[in-house]
Amino acid sequence: MAVSMPSQPGAVVEFRDVVKCFGQTVALDRMTFTVSAGETVSLLGPSGCGKTTTLRLISGFEEPDAGAIEIAGESMIGKRPYERNVGLLFQHYALFPHMTVAENVAYGLRHRGWAKGEIPARVAEMLQLVQLEGFEARRPAQLSGGQQQRVALARVLATSPKLVLLDEPLSALDAKLREQLRLELKQILTSVGSTTIVVTHDQEEAMSLADRIIVMNRGRIEQQGSPDEIYMRPRTPFVAAFIGRANWFHGHVGKFLGNGLAQLVTTAGTQLAIRYPDAIQGASFSACVRPERIAMGGPDASAGDPSDNLVPGKVVDVVNMGAELHYVVEGNDGRIVVVEPNRAGPRVRNGDQVWLRIRADDCVALPRSEP
Amino acid sequence: MSGRRLDDCLRLIGLTMIGTVICFLVVPIMVTTLMAFDARPYLGPLPPPALSLRWFSRFFSDDYFINGLGTSVELACLSVVLSLGCGVAIAVGLDRMSFAGREALTSLFLSPLIVPPVVTGFALLLFLAQMGVINGFARLLCGHIIITIPYTIRATLAGLAGIDRSLTEAALVLGARERSAFWEITFPLARTGIVSGAIFAFAVSMDDVSVSIMLTDAKTYTLPIALISSMRANFDLSIAAASVMLMLLTLALILILEKAVGLNRAIGQGVFR
Repeated sequence: MAVSMPSQPGAVVEFRDVVKCFGQTVALDRMTFTVSAGETVSLLGPSGCGKTTTLRLISGFEEPDAGAIEIAGESMIGKRPYERNVGLLFQHYALFPHMTVAENVAYGLRHRGWAKGEIPARVAEMLQLVQLEGFEARRPAQLSGGQQQRVALARVLATSPKLVLLDEPLSALDAKLREQLRLELKQILTSVGSTTIVVTHDQEEAMSLADRIIVMNRGRIEQQGSPDEIYMRPRTPFVAAFIGRANWFHGHVGKFLGNGLAQLVTTAGTQLAIRYPDAIQGASFSACVRPERIAMGGPDASAGDPSDNLVPGKVVDVVNMGAELHYVVEGNDGRIVVVEPNRAGPRVRNGDQVWLRIRADDCVALPRSEP
Repeated sequence: MSGRRLDDCLRLIGLTMIGTVICFLVVPIMVTTLMAFDARPYLGPLPPPALSLRWFSRFFSDDYFINGLGTSVELACLSVVLSLGCGVAIAVGLDRMSFAGREALTSLFLSPLIVPPVVTGFALLLFLAQMGVINGFARLLCGHIIITIPYTIRATLAGLAGIDRSLTEAALVLGARERSAFWEITFPLARTGIVSGAIFAFAVSMDDVSVSIMLTDAKTYTLPIALISSMRANFDLSIAAASVMLMLLTLALILILEKAVGLNRAIGQGVFR
């Protein structure tokens, strides 16, 4: 008899070394992760990274080739979708077009064995939760995209599933509505206290909804952690490049500056102080700096802190995004993007010579990503 | 300039062709309809000097025609039901398949559309004789199911093709078994396709000569067969009257079902995605 590893207590979902192939393509390569009760986890990655496969494996539309999948401590191998207590919010809602809003919300209740008499009250309760009272008799086609989304959410949550899966929940909506519904969605999910997995390729969706982000690439987990960790402390060049904008400096370790700081000598000869306690003399590496962590000053700028770096450059483009200004600065190491809030006062203009102040702590040292 | 003249010329040719085709489609039917109401007891030149219903009453007083009409209606209804049953099942099966043989299998099921009906009829006659089936109605029923099934399969496939797979998946995740998901989601959404398949099947069955003529016997024959053999024996205008009634029957059927399906669509706002 095979000895099964003990499942982690409190885990709602547990993946252990799950492998899934489609023909020659390996969609998931020994994927291992857990989701604890009440947690909202986001699976984030580009298309083809295996996040949708993971979702389909959890909901039971696909079976793994190897590995274990458990939901609430129970193995899901061989279980049909209707034998799992999982709710799935489809990207395009998948509302039943020939049924009314109330019938849609009641569908899961009818099939999950709710008493006939209790269903109308539960439907009303769910529609109240998503603020759609009075829409019971409408057909999905008579609703706006945002309303359809909320009906779909009510339908998913009605049966109180152990786990809620959201497949690109906001991607079908336009930008303005997306922001509003993101807040609503988060509020509703928090208020019902559900354990949630959000599958998305949109980093904003992941950052704003999730307590923890699992960044996936080519069927493997690149990194997992809180949104802040993922954003500020990426551990691979892929994560740094995929999430948010990044400025890159490529070079090798020069001298050690003490206090956990090392000097990066870039290929263009720029010397940067970087927090890099594990640096090895002469090793080549890349440093990544987020655009909003760079401060821009005129020619008279001076380092506020002795460990701060000052890099000269010339502004070649200014893009006004409304809330913030994006500056493209041409330096010795290529173009650097700087983001600053759109405040009142004198502005740096196109063609100005500037000094960029980069704190050593804001530079993330990563394995060399490109020459 | 000359390019523009060429355009005008081509447009004129196009309009002429459309007009001609419409003439050939409509004029013979109009002539037939007019002649069916001819009061003269013989086949005379157009236009008829007076109108009457004599050919209609002649049709209904002829047992040969009435017998054929009865068989035709009975046959059409039965073959629609059976061909719909098989056709929907086959279409659902084909729709769910993903392997490479799916296309080949679809073509196979639609092949009665390509095989000449006379060949189908003759082959079936030989086959059924070998099997010992000599009952005329049973033979006709087999033939009519074969010729109507491509229509029910194809229409159902078209109906199923418009249904987003995620709807079925949503039903399954919400706790519905495959069977419930089919009857509650897939079937109602494919209904438009299924109903139009039934209309086509009925019309094809009512109309068929080539296959039926091989499979009739002395006592069991369809209305089109009765019309043809009566026309050979003594050509009179009760055939025109029968044609008018066949046309009206088909028209009524299409209107009724269109209304039924159309109404349904109106309720669903026409967006069965």
